[in-house]
Amino acid sequence: MSKVANEKKDWADDEDLDDTVDALPAQTTTTNKDGTKTIVTWRFNDEGRTVKTTRRIRFTTHKEVVNPRVAERKNWNKFGLSANDGAGPASDTTSVGENIIFRPSSNWRKDAKEEKPEVGSMKDQLKNKKVKCRICNGEHFTARCPFKDTMAPIGEDSTADPAAGPADTPGEASGGLGTGKSSYVPPHMRNGGASSAGDRMGGGKYERDDLATLRVTNVSEMAEEQELRDMFERFGRVTRVFLAKDRETGLAKGFAFISFQERTDAAKACEKMDGYGFKHLILRVEFAKKAS
Amino acid sequence: MRPILLQGHERALTQIKYNRDGDIIFSTAKDQHICAWFAHNGERLGTYHGHQGALWTVDVDPTSTLIASGAADNTVRLWDIKSGKCLKVWDFNTAVKRVEFNEDGSRLLAVTEKRMGFLGTIVVLNIDLDPEAEQDDEKKLVIECEESKPTVAGWSYLSKYIIAGHEDGTVSQYDAKTGEQLDNTQVHDVDGLITDLQWSPDRTYFITASKDKTAKLVNARDLEVMKTYPTNTPLNSAAITPKKDFIILGGGQDAMEVTQTAARQGKFEARFYHKVFEEEIGRVRGHFGPLNTVAADPQGKGYASGGEDGYVRVHQFDKGYFDFNYEVERQARAAMQQ
Repeated sequence: MSKVANEKKDWADDEDLDDTVDALPAQTTTTNKDGTKTIVTWRFNDEGRTVKTTRRIRFTTHKEVVNPRVAERKNWNKFGLSANDGAGPASDTTSVGENIIFRPSSNWRKDAKEEKPEVGSMKDQLKNKKVKCRICNGEHFTARCPFKDTMAPIGEDSTADPAAGPADTPGEASGGLGTGKSSYVPPHMRNGGASSAGDRMGGGKYERDDLATLRVTNVSEMAEEQELRDMFERFGRVTRVFLAKDRETGLAKGFAFISFQERTDAAKACEKMDGYGFKHLILRVEFAKKAS
Repeated sequence: MRPILLQGHERALTQIKYNRDGDIIFSTAKDQHICAWFAHNGERLGTYHGHQGALWTVDVDPTSTLIASGAADNTVRLWDIKSGKCLKVWDFNTAVKRVEFNEDGSRLLAVTEKRMGFLGTIVVLNIDLDPEAEQDDEKKLVIECEESKPTVAGWSYLSKYIIAGHEDGTVSQYDAKTGEQLDNTQVHDVDGLITDLQWSPDRTYFITASKDKTAKLVNARDLEVMKTYPTNTPLNSAAITPKKDFIILGGGQDAMEVTQTAARQGKFEARFYHKVFEEEIGRVRGHFGPLNTVAADPQGKGYASGGEDGYVRVHQFDKGYFDFNYEVERQARAAMQQ
């Protein structure tokens, strides 16, 4: 009797059973192309709702030889507050912090000192700085200048003169302004086009960086920034190493930028390291192209 | 390096200890239990319950079978590491601020607080390392410190001396058998309370951390100050790293002043100094409060720090740490190889 009852369930019971089974789908694990695994788990939260948790995990086997005493201790049973924890670290007591870059260096103190006076000097600079009007050099903001409707800014007439020709001379102020400022001029075109001071500042930074920066391609995905730094440091002082990494897997994407302090060092490194075998791959090294 | 954060305590950490193999970390805080953790992944092995007051100190014996702890409930307790059972309770008149096993684990010293008319004392107890054995109730040796209360103490090489650091910045040396004071030297400033004393691997020299903002490397035999590490903040702890010749210092301004300053100025960083050249070589940030204790892995692979913020941060050093050498060190090594 009971067997029959078990096999043929009442339709009402059936639905109930289905409900609970449906509520928690089984954990699914899929292996991605890049070797990571996506694990989808389902659970009930405190309010009784189902929660889907998707975790993307890379497994790396880290083998370590320890002495027998240590190995034995790893199998000890947990006790006290941890008595009910499963194997492995419990999430409520153990978490992983953000990555800290710690490179001991003998000139650590010197580096730190350089930083501090800079802050101080910046303050000093600002202390002595006074508000200066761009139009009349008076001690007020340009917008408050009594001459702002009648005169052009001081710098403008001198630089605009050769570029724009006759338009902006102080003599024919009202007429010049009328024709010169009637249409919108984007900021980077003002002050006589591309050769303005502001533009040069921005561009100059990249220029200097680019001059001594190498682009390294065909880098192994197992490469580390430190290894690249070590390799390139023998040609001269390396100011910056950038190794493009995949955000999710943490593997290198295959290219890197190495900035040198001196362009001559960079040229030497470019010549020597192009075609260098590194982690089973042949590096291609060239000067980085200017970012457009 | 990616630190592992351990959140087993609700209150400020007081001491962290590695066992000799460097695989288990014991931590005590001002809440009333001891936590044991696996160092490699931060998994909690268990907690030890029984103390009725803030825990000040813990130590593990060299064979990793027993731990001893001292607390503000005026007791020293002995625990079985594996099961978490309390094996023995010794009662004292005042709070116990420091316990330490000697080199072979046969004896334990305990430093008691000066309070309620009782003098600060250093007490020696006999220990039987068998967890089944009945422990000796008797206090084998009691050293009373009349001048200045002891804050920290430890056993020198071969358990020959007991070295104690005092409230007034002095370090004294006692004969470990008779308790007779052999030497007393003003190592730190007079108002520089000694907050920590940790040994080199062979226990021939030790480092003291003090509120006078310096840490000093002192010879155990004649109490000669060999090296001084000056900082800009009161220190709570100092450790000597094996394998590499570094010193780790932990400190920060007092807990009561923390809220008045920004974290940036709080100096809540572990500072690394070169042991020989006395030069700062780097800092590790992370804690939100002053560091109360730092401990170096006896195997030299990492270190752990505990802060006023209640966290333990366990760090495994990476390649840059092991590769770092001074130019003279490199040259010396190259010369050795030739």
